[in-house]
Amino acid sequence: MTAYKFLGDGSVSPFAGFRWPVGEWVEAAAADPCRRGIHACRVQDVPFWLGHGLWEIELDGEIVVYQRKIVAPRGRLVRRLTDWNRELLEEFGAGVLARTRTRFGAVAVLSGYVGDIQNHLASGRVPLAAFAAARAAELSGGPAEYERERLRQAAWLADRLGLGTA
Amino acid sequence: MRLDREITCAQVVDLVTAYLEDVLDADDRERVEEHLVFCDGCSTYLDQIRQTIAVTGRLEPEDIPPALQDKLLAAFREWSPA
Ligand SMILES: [Zn+2]
Repeated sequence: MTAYKFLGDGSVSPFAGFRWPVGEWVEAAAADPCRRGIHACRVQDVPFWLGHGLWEIELDGEIVVYQRKIVAPRGRLVRRLTDWNRELLEEFGAGVLARTRTRFGAVAVLSGYVGDIQNHLASGRVPLAAFAAARAAELSGGPAEYERERLRQAAWLADRLGLGTA
Repeated sequence: MRLDREITCAQVVDLVTAYLEDVLDADDRERVEEHLVFCDGCSTYLDQIRQTIAVTGRLEPEDIPPALQDKLLAAFREWSPA
């Protein structure tokens, strides 16, 4: 199946520190131990893992589904999604801010989040801004609203990056 | 109010050694990593601990600088409406 993966400079995975080759199958020893499987995102997982470079990855074998990611025994980096860059990240952040302002800017308990998100964006912390937007949504209507805001973020990213169409 | 699966900076600090020793279960590991994506304070903290281990080959409680813990907790409070 096609999934997505954020990698740092030189296609190094942010947590495991593994330098991914492009186009070659990488075998993990087993899928179950979290660290030893190939971790990737479904479209709905993408906003939780925002990072430097976004890649399309092909997964093979039995796939284990976690709440925010999937893990497979084998994976192969297919291509880098070059539309994912600093500009698009900032545009994503601006959209998150605009939506939060529209929804909660006039709500006493929640309007403070608008300023927080603005500050996070001003300091380049877009993932934190996206998290804060989801927290504001959650405070407005419970945990399901947190998930809904994250799905809105995923939908925006999917639309702009053509995710889920392969 | 806090999501069931959400963890705080203080919890990440508590879990850092277990995380680096790879003894967390998959769900806790996912929670820690999800937090690290957006929390600069905890990411910096983790890097510092990794460097300490790289230099000394071990991690003891006294190796963790309390000032850094305070700093990242303050950074987290900075934006929290609580
Ligand atoms: Zn933190």
